Amino acid sequence: MSYGGTIGQALVMEAVSKRYPGTLAVDRVDLDVNAGEVHALMGENGAGKSTLMKILSGAFNDYSGLIRIGGQTVTLHSPSEAKEHGVGMVHQELSLARPLSIAENVLAGRLPANRWGLIQRKALFDEARRWLEYVGLALDPRQAVGEISPHEAQLVEIAKVLSNKPCILVLDEPTSSLSREETARLFDIIRDLKRRGLAIIYISHHLPEVFEIADRVTVLRDGRNTGTLSIEEATPRKLVQMMAGQTIDEFYAARHPEIGDTVLRAVRLTRYGYFHDVSFALRRGETLGLAGLSGSGRTELARSLCGLDPVHYGTVSLHDGIIEPGDYARSVSKGLVYLTEDRKADGLFLRLPVSQNLVAALTARHATLGVCRPDKDSAVAHRLFTALHIVAPSLEADTGTLSGGNQQKVLLAKWLATKPHVLLLDEPTRGVDVTAKRQIHEAIMTLTGQGTAVLLISSDLPELVGMSDRVLVMRQGRLIGEMEREELSEEAVLLAANGHYAFRAPDAAASNAGRGAVRTTASGQEGEHS
Amino acid sequence: MNAQTTLPSPRSAARAVLETAGIYAVAAALLVAGALVSPDFLTAENLLSILSGVALLGIVACGMAFVTYSGNMADLSLPATMAFSGIIAVASLSLGLVPALLLGMLAGLAIGAMNGLVVGKLNANPILWTLAVAFFMEGFMRFTWSNNQLYPEIEPGTPGAAFIGMFRMRAGPVPLIVLVMIALFAVAHFVMTRTRFGRESRLAGSSRAAARSSGIRVSRVVFFNFLAAAFAASVAGIFLTSMNKLGVFYLGQGYDFKAVTAVVIGGVMLSGGRGHIPGVFGGVLVIGLLTNILTFLGITAFRQNIVTGLVFIGVVGFQQYQLRARGKDYA
Repeated sequence: MSYGGTIGQALVMEAVSKRYPGTLAVDRVDLDVNAGEVHALMGENGAGKSTLMKILSGAFNDYSGLIRIGGQTVTLHSPSEAKEHGVGMVHQELSLARPLSIAENVLAGRLPANRWGLIQRKALFDEARRWLEYVGLALDPRQAVGEISPHEAQLVEIAKVLSNKPCILVLDEPTSSLSREETARLFDIIRDLKRRGLAIIYISHHLPEVFEIADRVTVLRDGRNTGTLSIEEATPRKLVQMMAGQTIDEFYAARHPEIGDTVLRAVRLTRYGYFHDVSFALRRGETLGLAGLSGSGRTELARSLCGLDPVHYGTVSLHDGIIEPGDYARSVSKGLVYLTEDRKADGLFLRLPVSQNLVAALTARHATLGVCRPDKDSAVAHRLFTALHIVAPSLEADTGTLSGGNQQKVLLAKWLATKPHVLLLDEPTRGVDVTAKRQIHEAIMTLTGQGTAVLLISSDLPELVGMSDRVLVMRQGRLIGEMEREELSEEAVLLAANGHYAFRAPDAAASNAGRGAVRTTASGQEGEHS
Repeated sequence: MNAQTTLPSPRSAARAVLETAGIYAVAAALLVAGALVSPDFLTAENLLSILSGVALLGIVACGMAFVTYSGNMADLSLPATMAFSGIIAVASLSLGLVPALLLGMLAGLAIGAMNGLVVGKLNANPILWTLAVAFFMEGFMRFTWSNNQLYPEIEPGTPGAAFIGMFRMRAGPVPLIVLVMIALFAVAHFVMTRTRFGRESRLAGSSRAAARSSGIRVSRVVFFNFLAAAFAASVAGIFLTSMNKLGVFYLGQGYDFKAVTAVVIGGVMLSGGRGHIPGVFGGVLVIGLLTNILTFLGITAFRQNIVTGLVFIGVVGFQQYQLRARGKDYA
């Protein structure tokens, strides 16, 4: 694996702009990246990072400004031109063909063929295996991509881009689906690529990652470059100020929740292969965190709780009424709702206007004898649009045109509109900028203040620790313990999720989760313990 | 990215008008073109004959629109549904006209219910499933009635004569079938825009997964969409049988493609969730006007099909282009 890395400035972008109908998404941005440098690109959602990187990867033929790669002025009007000039991009959303083998995906477009045009399978698998080894995956390259886990797929995607031997590598939120040890492995790879002279642009929302891996940081806001700092001069506070234009003081306001009686109770809930024997109670006005690594069964638990997915054993009761498994529509009408972790897959109607998304869960409630009540719909939509500070050209804008943070606000608003008794939140602020995150947190706090019980699933530890009154820890499909507010810290939650935390004596009344409480699994295969 | 925060006002009505305006502009242009082609074109008589000429297609398209709108592409079993409802109605005329009509409708609705159940509940691919049903039904009808055409008794005073007369009934100068079409379009428009069912069809058509996780019973919605299509096809099938004075397995052939064409040129996206019933009506009118003008020009039916096919290809291509242009903004 050899790279002909260039010396000095690998990439220079000067006064680059890109206009979408109605907005200047990127406004005269300057950016330079040296060979052998990791250059972090930060900014809130909608700040223009993605658009800037799309320009670099040849997605547009109508940008303005100057781009030089390796000292040579280039035009990047198509993806193939960008590829020819050595730009490799790892997108946040994967571009793998699921039914095809890993090898075919990794070497897509350059499959080794003999002179009759037939694929040379041995060469194909051997080369693919080398790239997989390089990114630390011990997978059979003949396996179909559809059969591997999302985080493995993320690494396959990286292998695919690297196999094109780029000289400029763009990584867009590459760690969002990776575990800690996979992230550590990725960082090793990045350091290795750096030594080989690649210029690396690293897009991330995670400050700790940026401080760990980056040499310089450029921050974008509203399509403009608000500054480039070397990592030595940067501080978290400074970067957040540059991104948001405001400080993070009192981000998690002191809360004084009024916690009442049990609203939702799960007893010995089991879905084979996903989670087993889960019992807990959720109380009125409470925010109950659910911690666990990806794949621990958190999402599956929430989906089964509300009736979206099946339950094989055990019961869920809401206000002493049993929730029928598999009848989500009924759960919604009773006030038990689930905010999905993937707003694009099954959260939002991206091609419909914001207004219709806001009232999408109210079709049953806002109908008299089957006839709609547009007056009610419109009142609700206007109220939520304002209350959640949704930034959109109008209520009639297509939801898919909004920035990620605003889409997430629309998704939350859809459920706020139903005035739920129990709100199951699955990664409510994933990939969302600082301002939108705060607005979402405020909305959640208002809701719990009104008595709604919230179950919060989050991989964002500051969020989980800051928002929760109590945290349940899930590991390999089982609840292994519970932490009260005073025990909560990011480090404790992380240790617990990895099976290295000694829980206090279980609170038998609220849950039987203590069953595995003092277990400190030493299986060693899971995670770092730092 | 959008910096405006001004509070918006509902504009969906205006948007609906704009989205359907295009097809009516085409219809108006065709009216002008027709007037230029022949002085007999812009007569009340000819315009009424255009309307009655497209009435059956209009009724089928009106039902088809529900299937397309809810994201299920097309119901290719509608021609078979038409033939079947007609045959059953003719076969049961000995019971009297009203029971025969009811049984004919029920026969068609049974096919719709089966489609709705299989596509809605079991998530079958709607195109493949309804294609298979069409194939099966044709074989079933040919086998059961031994390839024969079923003739109703047409002695005056018998239910058969009344049945034959249905297609020929008029309210003043206006054929009954035209009134039925207009009534169905009006009801369909109301259902789609003003009812919970219409709203949920739109959501399911826009994203089935998101509809399900918004607490909408998608399989139930899809069931009723197919039922609505089968209802319309049964009405059309009975009128078509009445027109032909016979029931036979091949009646209705070709209506699947023509109905999809009308739906799609009327602005209902094949991918679901977008479009309006007034647009579908416009699409039906355009097809009627086009056919009429081509007839005035002395172009034969087969060559008219070539034109219809080309129009369809053009419109679908344009819609795809629009979708792709939109899609870029969503990335």
